[in-house]
Amino acid sequence: MALPLLPTTVVGSYSMPGWLERLKTEFYARRISRRDLEEIHDTAVKAAIKDQELAGVDVISDGELRRDNMIDYFAERLPGVQIDHTSKKFHYDFYDSKVLGKLPMGPLGLVDDVKFLRANTDRETRFCVTGPHSLAKRIRNEYYPSEQDFALDLARVMNPELRAIAKAGADIIQIDEPNYSGFPDDLPWAVKALNTLIEGVDAKIAVHICYGNRYGKPSWEGSYRYLLPGILEAKVQQLTLEFARRGGEDLEIFRELPPRFEVGIGVIDVKTQAVETPDQVAERIRKALEVIPAERLFILPDCGLLHLSRDVAFAKLTAMVEGTRVVRKELKR
Amino acid sequence: MILQLNYLQRKPAASTMQEVIDTLYSLLEEGRLEQEQFARMRVHLDWIQYHKNFRECVMTPKVKRDPYGQPSPIDMYIDLRQVTPGALRAEILRAMTGEDSPAPDDGRVFLEDLRSFRESITWKFNNLYWHRLADWEEFTGRGYEQALPGGKSDANHPAAVADCVADFWTLLRDLESRKQLPEEIFVLEIGVGMGKRAGLWMDRFRALDEERGTKYYLRLKFLLGDYSLATLERSRPAVKNHLNVCSFIVLDALNPMKSLAFLRHKILHIHLTNVYDNLPDEEFARRDGRLYSIQVRAYLPAPQAHRISEQFQIPAADIPKTVDRLLEGGPDYLVDRKRGVAFWQEIWKALRLEERLVHLEDLPDIVLPLGLHQEQLEEVLEEAPSDVRFHLSSGALESFQNTVPLLHPRGFLQVQDIFVTNFNEYRIGFHGPGKLDGSIVNWVNGALLREVGERAGYDLHFAPFHYRQGSRTSVLYSTQRE
Repeated sequence: MALPLLPTTVVGSYSMPGWLERLKTEFYARRISRRDLEEIHDTAVKAAIKDQELAGVDVISDGELRRDNMIDYFAERLPGVQIDHTSKKFHYDFYDSKVLGKLPMGPLGLVDDVKFLRANTDRETRFCVTGPHSLAKRIRNEYYPSEQDFALDLARVMNPELRAIAKAGADIIQIDEPNYSGFPDDLPWAVKALNTLIEGVDAKIAVHICYGNRYGKPSWEGSYRYLLPGILEAKVQQLTLEFARRGGEDLEIFRELPPRFEVGIGVIDVKTQAVETPDQVAERIRKALEVIPAERLFILPDCGLLHLSRDVAFAKLTAMVEGTRVVRKELKR
Repeated sequence: MILQLNYLQRKPAASTMQEVIDTLYSLLEEGRLEQEQFARMRVHLDWIQYHKNFRECVMTPKVKRDPYGQPSPIDMYIDLRQVTPGALRAEILRAMTGEDSPAPDDGRVFLEDLRSFRESITWKFNNLYWHRLADWEEFTGRGYEQALPGGKSDANHPAAVADCVADFWTLLRDLESRKQLPEEIFVLEIGVGMGKRAGLWMDRFRALDEERGTKYYLRLKFLLGDYSLATLERSRPAVKNHLNVCSFIVLDALNPMKSLAFLRHKILHIHLTNVYDNLPDEEFARRDGRLYSIQVRAYLPAPQAHRISEQFQIPAADIPKTVDRLLEGGPDYLVDRKRGVAFWQEIWKALRLEERLVHLEDLPDIVLPLGLHQEQLEEVLEEAPSDVRFHLSSGALESFQNTVPLLHPRGFLQVQDIFVTNFNEYRIGFHGPGKLDGSIVNWVNGALLREVGERAGYDLHFAPFHYRQGSRTSVLYSTQRE
């Protein structure tokens, strides 16, 4: 299916229902089985897919509702990462995870998630994977000589999984790297690790760089100025950035971005429950169009919708879609 | 019968305890107390609260009749400080007499219907106090800080302020080294009092900044927030040397975001002293495995109502109406201000709270404060003592939840107050609300606050206020939760 001008999409996560949080906690307390939890996850993911479709989003995700958080879902799957399963109280907490030796190769089991998504929608799909820089910042490294070496090896081990994800039908694979903004000096080696991760992957690759959304609040503040020129070395097709909450001042930085880059602009503030109007969304898009041509622009929320209530998340997506339609009409005139 | 000894300060514990037991046994033998009642009774010696409070010497909460006919808990709270020699028996009898409930309606004048403490008329008195503080102080001839234990606020302790400034300066330095220091450095104090702490803080900050040559003071924007314009006005002289960096903002401590939404994620340090203890609260109790909410009803005991009626020549039956008008229009309502303030102070002094336990079928029946999830409360209660009475601290929780969105990602919150930092502390006694001059003061459930903080992305740490020996306050510090 061909995408319209200014395609709308999501950054990954959808609203985590309170009942699902409770059931995850029940699972950790061994009051429900893994099999039951998997069935619950399937049902929740189907609902998230349906909501995105109903809101009219063009490229959708699985809502990441199977994931406890952006680190543990991968840490648990990475061969060689040791997890202390007693180390968290609430599902959203991070496990205490560490690496004591060289990471072996092995499947991560993410392909099934992509197949499930693919089987439950006709829309184009976006599948999100936490990048090696962010994983290296959280998983304790007790083997590699440096964080950089650790991240590069994480990328090497994860690369075959990304190739498989592409084969399984993910149209866009998004690499989440919110930690770039907290550690701007890491950018040169972080981009190297990113390139290792995506080498030979047959899908459109986006990298999502925000200022954090842990507990629905930013982890850092600053300017995207640090991204240039380092990010130009990234062999990705799309940069996905946070603009709604932070305002559009940084947009100007991307005026000279080479044409090979698409830009996904955040037009929905995910750190407030206040729902934007379509007019507000349209205005944010118009502002972005002053800097980036429509053909290279994707429209999405600033980050995942995880921390918003379901009704707010749905209303925000609907406003995003309606606001985008307004601008599309203006562009056709 | 369970006799719980909580806080036998300055009282000969053994003798009082014996007197209580003897009195209750004699009532049992006289048939004025049934064996079954006696067996289920839980007597609390002593209720922990401020010296001036809302309780009579002996109090037994009513219990709303249980449709399932389950036996009701019988609690008896005895405030030993109010017990006069030889009066205990009469006080216990007074508290216990009644048909379906122990407490009698013995000519007391009610000022409201039964409701959650949070909704009680007492909070309107509290509001009136802060809005008409000058009138109150003029009448009493002393400032409100003089009513604090020790006669002054711990908030202004120079060493505590200096440490806070040093921590803040270190944060700024760290942000600068990472090239992440914002152009404008916002600091917010909520509940500024006389502005002394704000003045001291800025004096110290400017001195440290000059000493180290960092020029941060030039970028400082210090916001003084209070919900009383009168208080803000009174704070100006204390910060007169820093007026060029100060803004005075009327805000509701329950929701600072309402006034300051434009500073979301921008404020690097927020401080509150003795604010949470003055925010609306509600209380719950678990008895014999069942959960109860505690409703209250403000009243004037009969003798005090009679005295006020005579003194102000208002029929006792008209007192509630007159109180409503006082709370709506202020003390000017009563012909002249002086008379109005006198009436206000007499009513406040006499005001008591009757209590009633209402059984909750299940936790979902409770409307929980913002940020507190049902499963969190369940988890906390799972680990809490089986028989426990606790504060929900709904106002403090709401305030916290509506304040932290203002914090810069690297910013920190500091709250100095009287906290119950561990749920197990409720096992050894419940800290009830008190009267501090014309305002309410109440302990804050720090354990629940910690739970709410975790979900909001902050680890909360409580440290005793070590700068003044004997201080009962603690300092809450927030750190980013990963």
